[in-house]
Order: sequence, then structure tokens, then C-alpha cells
Amino acid sequence: MKVVIVGAGEVGFHVASRLAHENKDVVVIDKDSDAIRRISDNIDVQVILGSGSSPVSLEDAGIKEAEILLAVTNSDETNLVACLVANIISPYTKKLARIRNADFDKYHDIFRDHAPHIDTLINPEIEVVKTIDRLMNMPGAVDVGKFANGSIKFIGINLDKEARLAGSRLHEIPAILGKPSPLIAAVIRDEELIIPSGDDRLMPGDLVYFISEEDKIMDTLRIFDKYAEPVKRVLIVGGGRIGSRLATLLDDKPVYTKIIEKNPDICAKLAEKLNKVVVLHGDGSDQGLLNEENVQEMDFVITLTNDEEINILGSLLAKRMGARKTITKISKFSYFPLMTMIGIEQVVSPRLSAINTILQHIRRGKVLSSISIKGEQAEFMEAVALETSEIVGKPLKNISFPKGALVTSIIRNDNIIIPSGDSIIEPDDRIIIFATRQAIPKIEKILTVKLEYF
Amino acid sequence: MRWRYILNVVGILTLFFGLTMLFPIAVGLYYKDQSVIPFLKSIGITTFAGLLLYLCFRGSRVETITQREGMAIVSIGWTTIGIFGALPFYLGGEFITFVDAFFESVSGVTTTGASVLTNIEAVSKGLLFWRSFIQWLGGMGIIVLSIAILPFLGVGGMQLYKAEVPSPIPDKLRPRIKDTAMLLWKVYALISLLGATLLMIGGMSPYDALCHTFTTMPTGGFSTKNASIAHFDSVYFDSVIIIFMLLAGINFSLHYQMLRGKTLAFWKDSECRFFLGTIILLIVVVTFNIHGAVYENISQAFRYGAFQVVSIITTTGYATADFDQWPAMSKLILLLCMFMGASAGSTGGGMKFLRVMLYFKYCYKELFSLIHPRSVTHIKIGGKVVPEDVTRSVLGFLGLYMGLFALCSIVLAGMGVDFVTSFTAVAATIGNVGPGFANVGPALNYAQMPYLGKWLLIWCMLLGRLEIYTIIIFLVPEFWRK
Repeated sequence: MKVVIVGAGEVGFHVASRLAHENKDVVVIDKDSDAIRRISDNIDVQVILGSGSSPVSLEDAGIKEAEILLAVTNSDETNLVACLVANIISPYTKKLARIRNADFDKYHDIFRDHAPHIDTLINPEIEVVKTIDRLMNMPGAVDVGKFANGSIKFIGINLDKEARLAGSRLHEIPAILGKPSPLIAAVIRDEELIIPSGDDRLMPGDLVYFISEEDKIMDTLRIFDKYAEPVKRVLIVGGGRIGSRLATLLDDKPVYTKIIEKNPDICAKLAEKLNKVVVLHGDGSDQGLLNEENVQEMDFVITLTNDEEINILGSLLAKRMGARKTITKISKFSYFPLMTMIGIEQVVSPRLSAINTILQHIRRGKVLSSISIKGEQAEFMEAVALETSEIVGKPLKNISFPKGALVTSIIRNDNIIIPSGDSIIEPDDRIIIFATRQAIPKIEKILTVKLEYF
Repeated sequence: MRWRYILNVVGILTLFFGLTMLFPIAVGLYYKDQSVIPFLKSIGITTFAGLLLYLCFRGSRVETITQREGMAIVSIGWTTIGIFGALPFYLGGEFITFVDAFFESVSGVTTTGASVLTNIEAVSKGLLFWRSFIQWLGGMGIIVLSIAILPFLGVGGMQLYKAEVPSPIPDKLRPRIKDTAMLLWKVYALISLLGATLLMIGGMSPYDALCHTFTTMPTGGFSTKNASIAHFDSVYFDSVIIIFMLLAGINFSLHYQMLRGKTLAFWKDSECRFFLGTIILLIVVVTFNIHGAVYENISQAFRYGAFQVVSIITTTGYATADFDQWPAMSKLILLLCMFMGASAGSTGGGMKFLRVMLYFKYCYKELFSLIHPRSVTHIKIGGKVVPEDVTRSVLGFLGLYMGLFALCSIVLAGMGVDFVTSFTAVAATIGNVGPGFANVGPALNYAQMPYLGKWLLIWCMLLGRLEIYTIIIFLVPEFWRK
């Protein structure tokens, strides 16, 4: 499968790297020679120096043979033009574009049905706001994703030192709890991903990923000694695109919200749009202002400025001044592993969510969604079990699953089954598979292989 | 530097290289000659050593490798392959000292074609086949071949590819390096097949045809005959070999384009135009220069002149005439050819025409800006601007090339080798040509070199094949610093 990516920024780089790992043919176009060099030095893809919206570059990149075009430059206009040009040169190439301007929100469907026929418009900012909303309602969660239209969620939490389960082996958990253990899919310890077996222990400080049905989430979180606390007061730092979207969302909720923004013009616009939310003009890292605005009483401080260093420092400052929880927006992936170390728990990244959306559309077969977990080492994939696929009709233990992959749940007629070795997947079941990066190509093959040949 | 991983990969390469010894064994069995036993021993030792390295340093899972590690794998890998490639020669009893066997083997894999064998025709057929076969493997690159067929290299493949096939302006035919490597080998094998067929049609025995194709296509230059191509003394063979040396000296991505139906690919590529144009010019000059002085007949002068110019400029090193006896002008032209070498992305050695062309354009740009001090100019190749850092790295390369050539010649002369011999020996080994002048001329060979001189020339051959940087980087203290 050939994929042409326009834009070698952070999103383009990471999507290219992921796809190259999965042995797909990738061509990246960018007009910045440094960005191009970074790609060609690190990833096994073809690179083309030139503007992604130019027909010449697109033809050089072989757009005619490409199955998918991804337009992910920083400029909405370039992305749109790239799709438009591609639509003329190669009408059958599937097109995905990242469009961030909120003005286009209503036009997503129009762009799909009319020229430039963009199959998917990605606005990571919408996703990020949704993620923030989920994180606020989920005590202790550092990572949340949903499947099956939200009826199943996977949640990542940091295991506290005092937690009951800290130090116990997985097979001992039912005895400790007196009820079946939640399905633990993965543990990240010292930046390394572990798929635990019954003999593995949960250690304090682990980032534990588990799967739960929507209505049992609070019970499951209690198992890990995480208790829900209602969110009443929220402080948003940064009134950019994400900040204003979030403020608008909270405006209608019974949450007392304040938003701090440095730029007076943006403040004026925010005040125009928002009703209940208090708009403050000032610097989010100004201790005096934070004090004045009772930061110590805040349930959540959410830092969403465009400067990640300010976000990190702002969150740390707020935490030290007594805010209960913080959520920090970070774009640079290299910062992710540091976050737990410096005491920042919850992180959101528009880029990571853009990557998730993109990958979901690139996956072969009947993959409905796929979500990378922190650090991109592994992915949760939701897929429909095709009648002709290898996994259907025999007990799970008899299926030769690649190492590093695990069927975490089966959804059949709205019932959720947590599978054991004897469970049998039936046609049209929806399954949620957890797979490490190495195992993903094999999983894709298992899900689709027979479809291709019969 | 993750040495465990590096040695692990070197182990796999060694193992893979060991398995290629099955081919000469088959040849040896067919001709029932005495080379089979030494080959069985060599294959045993090589695969065992490879397996041992692989197993001892297993388990370090690596997702990407750095450029530095890529260079380390390639240079250690090539040296190791040189050593194990020497085993059949040494165990076969052709050489008394190991350094001679090592010299012959490295001269093979680096496609130099400099020999220390005095009586080639006395050597068993299996061993001579091996001698040609390693040139064929080394020509397109043993690591490129491993990238193409072995699944393990994955992402790291790209760094290895860059270290083994350095090119001033990298050219990736397909999005994935594995596919690119596979394609190059397919094109290489296809042209080789064609070459062997044409030689057989002309009446060469299948064995000789195969061996000579195996040394023509990588621009190697080993022959199974003492007198090299002159042995056959046929205009047909001379012309077929000239054509295939030229093909081997042209960028292989152009061959790929040709095969895909772009018939004007050679003409449209500015390097290729420059390459073929220079060759035609030099052939004309050499022909007129040797006409009368050496050959009475103009057609004879053209036949030998053309063959020798193409053979040296593509860095093959075959001989149909003792060009050491030619007039000084022709000899100097041939010496120049040793330096210039073939095109980038070909199997030839030397500095590569692309670099020479870039250098000329750079000089012109400098002169131009002396005349128009405020002019803004770019160096362009094929209508595309060459980035500043590429030009810089090319200038660095040419400087290093000449510097190392000068240094090594002086060291070799210091070992008691005469003036012309020492500098042409270095020029011919660093350019992967083979024969030089005087005591290493086409009629003689490298057997008389002093012991340490052979080690030095072995190093020069590796230096030339991996285009300086990959090998020289080992001598830079910064490389070893943690």
C-alpha cells in the first residue's frame, strides 16, 4: 500500500515512521529541506523536496499509484489545495486532510461530497477537547480512549504507592478483591511496555492500562483506589483554539470556569462569546494573578497555550500552589516520558490525537478505530471479525496470535464479553485487540487475509 | 555505539556470505577439481564463525540504528568478509602467506582486480570461479543484497545502504530501502545474464563467459586467463566487454528507468552525458596518440585505445594491450581516468563523475562570482539546485581522496617501492581499478609488493570501495569518544 504524506512536521513524521514500521510504501513531501533531511535520515521512506500543493511534486511522489493522501502541513490552505490538486490528478486516491480552523467545522461533509472529495477531515482540536472532558470526569486517569461508540473504554492510570494492588501478582488479584480482576492489557514501567502474564506483579508507579465497560468504570477505578471527586472549579490557561473550544463546552455545564489569556484582543473576543466563564487578561505563569484567582481552590488547572514550556511550568506552579489536578497540552513527543518524572500526570496532545485518527483510517480490513497509547509503543484496535477471517469460529487459544497481541474484549449484540482461552469469536462480533507495534502488521493480516484471497 | 548489535549483524552477514560458498563448491564438484575440500573447510569455518557471532550477541532488539553504527557495521562487515573470502585461497594452497590470500580476496570483493597470483591458469576452476564470484557479489554490494533478501535488517537497512553505497545525491528508487535494493540487484542480475549470453554466443565457454561477466558487471577486472582479455584476441569479445563495462559504469537507476520504457534516460541525465562525452573524447585522443607510435593501423589503435580507456575509466582494469609501453600522453590520460572513475550509483570506483562535475561547476561559480561579486548563483545539476552541504561534502571528499592518495603513495615509496609504481599502485587500488604502471602494470602484478605494502593497499582498496568516509571515520578519535 502506498501512502503520500504532505507535510513533514511532527504529525507527518510520526505517521510516516509508524507506517514505515508496518512495511508500507511511504512518500513524504515538504518544502523545508531540514524537515526532509530529518525524515530521510531516520525513516525508511522516500522524500521529495517541494511544495505539497504543487502538482509536480505530487506527480513525482507517484500520487497516481497512491492509495491514500495525507495532507498534514501546518497550513489549512496548503492541505486543502493539496487535496484539490490530488483530486484532479488521481480521483481514486483516498484523501485525508488536517483542517484546524473552526470556520470549516460545518463544511466537513460538503468537502467530502463535493470537490476536493476529502474523505476525512481531521480536526485534532475537537478530539483534544473531548479527551480533556473525559479526563476531567475520570479520577486518576492519565489516558482514556473509547470503543464501540463509548460503551467500552480503555483507561491508563498511575498506580499509587498506597494502592491495595501495588506489589501483587496478577493471578492473586481476584483473591485480594474477592471478585474477578479487571482486564489489564498493558503496563508501562520505566518507559518500557510490558504485556503482563499471571505471574507478573503490579508495582507502584506503573502506568496500568485496563479495559472496562462504561458503566463499571467507577467500580474499576475504585479497585485501584482512585475515587471520583466532582469537578466544580476549573481554570484554563491559554485562550487559543483549544482553550476557547473547551471554555465554550464548559460554559453550558455547572462548572465554575475561569480562562486566562495574555492577548487582550483574544480576551475581548472570548468575553463576547462566553456567558458564564470569567475571562481574565494576564499571564498564566504569573504567581500573583494565580493567587488572586484562588488557584489553590481549583479542581483542575488546564494549560493550553501554544508554548509547551509555559504549559509545563504553569501546571507545575499551579500544582505547587495547591490546585488539585492539572492537564497539560504538549506537542513534542520527546517530552512524554519526562512528564511522570516531573510530576505532571495528565497530558493531552493534539498531534497524538491527529495521528490516532489518521491511523484509524489507514488500517486495512474492518478496523473501526485504533488508538495509540502513550509513547506509541502499542495500539488498541477495534475491528469487526469477518466471517472469512482466521480468528472466527475457533477457541482463542487455538489461534496462532502473534506475540505481543491480545484480544481484550468481544462485543456481541451490545453485550461485552471479556474473553478467556475458550471463547470463540463469531462472525460480525466486534473485537478489541491490544497489539504492540511489532505485532500490528501481523494482526492486520489476520484480520484481512482471507478477505483478499476469496 | 551498541557493539552487541553491530557484532550480531556482522555475524549474520558472515553467515550469509559463508553460504554463498556453495556456488564454487558446485563448480568444483562439476569439474571434479581439488578445490572442493578447501571450500568445504572454508564454508564450515565461515558459517560457524558467523553463527557464533550471531548467537553470542543475540537479543539486543534495536529499532533504529545511527549513522555511526551503520558505518561501523559496513566497515567491520567488509573487513570480515574479506578475511573469510580469503580462506579458500589460503586453504587451497595457492598462497604461502595469509596476507596474499587476504589481498586477493579484498581485491575481489572491492572489485579492484589487483592480483598477486602469478600463474592464474594453474589455479583450479572452483577457486577461479570464487575469485570472479566475489567480485560480482561485491559489485552491487553484499550488504545491499542482504538488505534485499534477508528480512532482519528492517529499518537499520537504510543506514547500512547509505554507508555501503554512498552517493553525493541519494537516489531512492522505491519508497522502501528493501525494495530499492531488490530492484537494483534484479537490474544487475538481468544485465549480467545478457552479458554472459552474448559472450557465449561469441563462442566463449560457459565457464569463462560466466566468470568474465562476473568481473565485467561489477567493474572488477579479474580474468581466468594470464593474459586477461587479450587471451581471446577477438574484436567481438572486445566490443561486447566494452559495452558491458560502460553499462556497469552508468548509474543503475538509469538502467531501471530504461527498462521501464524511458528510452532517453541516458541522454537526459547530465552526469551520464558528461561521462559518455568524456569517454568519447579521451578515446579519440588516445587513438591518435598511439597511432603510429604503437600501432601502425588506425583501426587497431582505435580497438586497443577504446578498450583500455573504457576499462580504466570504469575502473574495471582488464587489459588487451600492455599500456605501460604506450606514449606518455596516453599513460597520463589513463592515470587521470583512474581518478575520475565511473558514475555515481554504478558499480565502478574512483571519485565518480558526479563529484567531478560538481567540482567543475563549483570552480566555475567561484570564477563567476569574481567577475560579478554581487551575483547570486546556485550550482545546478539536471536543472535542480544542489544544496550547499552536498557541495561541501563533495569538496571534502575530493580533498580527502587526494590527501590519502598522496599520503599512501609516500608511505609505499618509503617501503622501497619505486616512484611510478608506488603512486600508480595507490591510485589503482584506491580507485578500485587494478593494474597501474611500471612494476604493477598490466603485464606484471602485485606479488612483488613488500609485506607491509600489501596491508596498506588492502586498506586503500576498502577505502576506495566504501568511498573514504565509511572507513576513515574509524581513525577519527571523536568516533570512539562516548
